[in-house]
Amino acid sequence: MEMNSKEILSVDSLRIGYGSGKNENALLPPLNASANFGELIAVIGRNGIGKSTLLRTLTGLQQPLGGNISYYWKNIKDYTRIELAQKVGYISTEIVKVSNMRVYDLVALGRFPHTNWIGKVGMRDHEIILDALKKTSMSFFAQKFISELSDGERQKAMIARILAQDTGIMIMDEPTAFLDIASKYEILHLMHQLSGSGTKTIIFSTHDLQMAISQADKIWLILENELIEGAPEDLMLAGEFDHLFDSSTVMFNSEDGTFSFRSETKGAVYLEGEGNKRFWTEKAINRAGFKVSKEKTLPFIILPTTNHSPWKLVNGTEILEFRSLYELMGCLSRTTTRSI
Amino acid sequence: MKTAVRKDLTNEINSGRKARLIFICLFLLLILFLILDIFLGSVNIKPSEVIGAFFNNSHTGFQTIILKFRLPKAITALTVGIALSLSGLQMQTVFRNPMAGPYVLGISSGASLGVAFVILGFSSTITPESLTGFGNWILVAASWVGAGAVMLLIMVISSKVKDIMTVLILGIMLSSGISAVVTIMQYFSNETLLKAYVIWTMGSLGNLTVNQLNVLLISVSAGIILSLFSSKMLNALLLGENYAGSIGLNVRFARAVIFICTSILAGSVTAFCGPIGFIGIAVPHIVRILFKTSDHKILIPGTILMGGAVMLASDILSQLPGSETVLPINAVTSLIGIPVVIWVILRNRQYSDSF
Repeated sequence: MEMNSKEILSVDSLRIGYGSGKNENALLPPLNASANFGELIAVIGRNGIGKSTLLRTLTGLQQPLGGNISYYWKNIKDYTRIELAQKVGYISTEIVKVSNMRVYDLVALGRFPHTNWIGKVGMRDHEIILDALKKTSMSFFAQKFISELSDGERQKAMIARILAQDTGIMIMDEPTAFLDIASKYEILHLMHQLSGSGTKTIIFSTHDLQMAISQADKIWLILENELIEGAPEDLMLAGEFDHLFDSSTVMFNSEDGTFSFRSETKGAVYLEGEGNKRFWTEKAINRAGFKVSKEKTLPFIILPTTNHSPWKLVNGTEILEFRSLYELMGCLSRTTTRSI
Repeated sequence: MKTAVRKDLTNEINSGRKARLIFICLFLLLILFLILDIFLGSVNIKPSEVIGAFFNNSHTGFQTIILKFRLPKAITALTVGIALSLSGLQMQTVFRNPMAGPYVLGISSGASLGVAFVILGFSSTITPESLTGFGNWILVAASWVGAGAVMLLIMVISSKVKDIMTVLILGIMLSSGISAVVTIMQYFSNETLLKAYVIWTMGSLGNLTVNQLNVLLISVSAGIILSLFSSKMLNALLLGENYAGSIGLNVRFARAVIFICTSILAGSVTAFCGPIGFIGIAVPHIVRILFKTSDHKILIPGTILMGGAVMLASDILSQLPGSETVLPINAVTSLIGIPVVIWVILRNRQYSDSF
């Protein structure tokens, strides 16, 4: 195999799971994957498929059942614990709750693989810690207790800790779970910034497929029988995301990367009009279980032309006017179920 | 932003200064209690005569009391306080359980079982007072083994069961089970041995021979040195095993070191002074409240000073200055420790997720 000089991590026929010998319980077939310098990689897969186990194995917290993991072209087995901790940082889903621990102390623990036997924080360590706090905009919180932080702030403090650890690779298990939307995008922005500067390779698992598709440089899609990797758009074009949903109720639209519920179509409605109003009206009637027909059929909807004009539902001779889409939908589901 | 950083830096320097100040106060308090413990007792001795006892070689009765009784007792109290508090601190961090301590989790009971085997089981002539030389090491080793066995069991249980309450209840069950075994052993032993054992269980700081005190001092010193080495590991373990491993800690090694350290500390004390309760659990909390930190580089020396001071204070109280009555030390430490424990429980009612 040709050595890729940009490659920071390579995973070859890795088998993950628990136990050993006869009691071996492999979660997935052998996996192959790779990561380059400065990439933001999203790990996607159903609940319980083994994302966390994979990430734990990559961090060296769990022994692989077989296969190889190499960081910087060196097998993970050839690293000492401390050496590995200088290369790979990890954030789990576990929430750290320690009373009387200040944010500074938490971040300082990131210096663990770099400090002496008693863990003395020297001047250089101190500067690195302050820098990590600054990069995560947590400087102001340095002397706060971690028990006083919000979920988003705590996650930023954890990221500051991993920055202080000064590793080229950051592995994060669902870093945005439990966060409100604002904190979620703040964390994501931070991750994007860190990987974008080319200094950090970030591998994170997530359940937010749309976020992963829009932000990640690469996706590791874990399915029952294989791991598929590639740019999100490549996977989209190949229709790989469809494999995530075996259920017949949810549908992934490869055209725009959104999901919709697969429901029986109640009928088709023609829309007359253009623009913003058309976009949202289409969404609304899709949700109500109707398609937009290309030919003019009955009933059809005339979209408002100004902000003050109403939606008009034309059903034969009858024309009904609605002030809002909400009212229109209420009527549409009643009228057409009768007429079709 | 820059001013904010600078402000934080000054805060940090201030908190460093504050910690140093608390250390100095604690140290002075320790010295004060040490002196008081030697000066006060059931026999009224004038301060001038106490000082005289140290420097003159006049063999008065006072000198015997001071040098043969009060001084060894004070040193024992100091050592016991340090050992129990340190083992409590380490257990609380390793089990991530604010209610952990050598007494509550049954480590002291395990040590008692070891001692019971030696006193009640093997010999009909051994009593704690009659042990000399090598015999004391046998007693203390039996105690280590007993403490270690229970500690190991609790470690295995707590790796399977994450819930703090469950671990505590299992600790209580273990203690009760061990008491039952000891009771059976008592039933089959003769009267003199029984009396020796029962007196031992009441806990005492004053019955140690010089030889026993030496064994205690050597063991506890080893434990203290080991615990100083463990401060970095303990800091990492605060985050839980996964994070500790991910920042480069060999979790198994760390657990083994702390396991050995705790067994030595709690086991040695129990071997010679009996099970002494609530110091190990209460002192670390007092130190955390005082220093407002989770950093073991500060908590360990803080606990050493505070543990010594609290135990000396308990000893002073147990002698009821001016009267001839001496209270059992266990009763005094319980009365001091239990309010602290209750306060910790009430302060964070969901104490299962933080400590």
